[in-house]
Amino acid sequence: MKLNPTQTLLAMLAAAVILAFGPLVLPPFYVRVGQLMVYSAGLAVAWAILGGFAGYASFGNAAFIGVGAFAAGLVEGNISGIAPPLLLLVGLVVGGACCGVLSAAISYPILRLRGTFFAIAMLGVSHVCAEVTNNIDFFQGSLGLNFPSVVPGDIDPANYFYWLYLAGGLAVLLIAWQIRRSRFGAGLLSIREDEDTARMLGVPTERYKRLAFVISAVLTGMLGVIYGHSLGYITTESVYRDDTNLSLIVYSMLGGMGTLFGPVIGAFALVFITQVLLARLLDFHLFATGLLLVILVLAAPGGVLGVTRSFSLRRRPSPVAAE
Amino acid sequence: MNLIAQTLADGLVLGGIYALAAVGFSLIFGVLHVINLSHGILVLLGAYLALIVSQTLHVDPLLTIPVVMVALFGAGYCYQRFLIQRAVDRSALGSMLLTFGVALMLQNIMIWVFSPDMKNITPSYAFSSFRLGSVTFDAVRMSALVASLVLLSLLAAFLKFSPLGRVIRATAQQTLAARLCGVNVHHVYALTFAVSAAFAGAAGIVIGIILPFSPSDEALWTMNAFVVVVLGGVGSPAGALIGGLLLGVVNTLTAQYIGPSFPNVTMFLLLVLLLLVRPTGILGNAFSPSR
Repeated sequence: MKLNPTQTLLAMLAAAVILAFGPLVLPPFYVRVGQLMVYSAGLAVAWAILGGFAGYASFGNAAFIGVGAFAAGLVEGNISGIAPPLLLLVGLVVGGACCGVLSAAISYPILRLRGTFFAIAMLGVSHVCAEVTNNIDFFQGSLGLNFPSVVPGDIDPANYFYWLYLAGGLAVLLIAWQIRRSRFGAGLLSIREDEDTARMLGVPTERYKRLAFVISAVLTGMLGVIYGHSLGYITTESVYRDDTNLSLIVYSMLGGMGTLFGPVIGAFALVFITQVLLARLLDFHLFATGLLLVILVLAAPGGVLGVTRSFSLRRRPSPVAAE
Repeated sequence: MNLIAQTLADGLVLGGIYALAAVGFSLIFGVLHVINLSHGILVLLGAYLALIVSQTLHVDPLLTIPVVMVALFGAGYCYQRFLIQRAVDRSALGSMLLTFGVALMLQNIMIWVFSPDMKNITPSYAFSSFRLGSVTFDAVRMSALVASLVLLSLLAAFLKFSPLGRVIRATAQQTLAARLCGVNVHHVYALTFAVSAAFAGAAGIVIGIILPFSPSDEALWTMNAFVVVVLGGVGSPAGALIGGLLLGVVNTLTAQYIGPSFPNVTMFLLLVLLLLVRPTGILGNAFSPSR
């Protein structure tokens, strides 16, 4: 089944419209789960712009969630007298801008690292941001930071944030889709396949990587701003989370690394499994997550989309690949 | 002056222990090119085994090292042969996530079996200390350091002089060439993993007698091992030693002079800086540095 661009766009919009009716029919608990699903899917797609397309798997995107949320919270706390939706807009712009500047600054050194080294260096960035936020009084990381309410009066906050996440997630998906279709996206894929060869063939790998990194960081930061608002009160621990860092990789692995919709499928599936199916088994939680990872790596290294694709293509085993 | 000397001495003692805790990780990374995120769990497994053995037999914890090493050697061999081997040659990310999954499962099992509380192994000489000039050394930390250095030297000698050590080094340098020369690479991978697990277990005992531990510490020891290995260079005990000493000194100096909550910041800044200047680590060698 191959869709042309118009059909893909319509399919995405239709799915979003169907999802938008969720809060009207679902009980409150499932609206919360839905929030988490859509939020995680947005983060996963933002991660995949660099991690999936270009193959630079970051282990520290929570850094941008945290920087975005704290920057927005600190600025919004000092503004008074403007309408709530405008305040949120200011927060999004500030949070996104801070992440953009930070990622552009660290992109020079950090994108020189490859593979696992890049992954772990990003984990380091996430930890350093967390500790700086926690230990310097100005950022109020250990004390906690309150967000002004941005919910219009007559809407249930849970529903409002569900729709906000949905809009954000859809925007991220559309951006990723356009990147994937463009020359820039093709360049990123060529970096994933063989960076040195791509460079030899004239792909501006440095510029492409840096651009993908900054886009990924800005989108992650903006989702972080919404996340901060939906929590209402954040501390260092609530935004710089190592389980977020890990989950972002797992979503893509589960759904299909390097695909456009894989991260979305992975995020929906994993959030559903951990929040709904395993919610009653708190003692068993780590074990089940670990077991899921092990099974995933051993049984379906290409993710859900990888499995369906290998069935549909029926590839012959390549004679070169045998080692 | 006195404070600086004491801080440096503490840092070096701690660094020797970090080195032992990292050497297994380094070996696996150098030979199999797998980031073993379950390394910290193996370290803790050693600590818990030593706790059980020394309490039931009433012996000094350091004397349990051989028992624990043999147990973890066996466990490590099976773990690599039956689980990790299936993911080794596919992708770096896959094997890393596999070991992470195993780490989560084992951590949960440890919480069931040993409870999530802090435990520690207390040897009989826990509170004695001696002075050298103006610098004080605890007996516990010194015995831990000596045990670390002895074990590291043994491993270095094993890799350098024994036939198996030579095969392991050959596989690390060029897997394909080693295979052409008749090396059973899968067996060597499993043995390397087993040796690494054994040393991780020994490190667990040494850590257990100087610091309290709990199942949730595993990530800390995995991260420490990673930093030590990247600082020092992959795949050699000497690299692990240098990286460990550097990390120990930096940690204690930061805690003393900048603030007790900043060691992680300086550690990672140092790490990123070093990755940029010298991506192969201080003792970078012929092992493939990054894939």
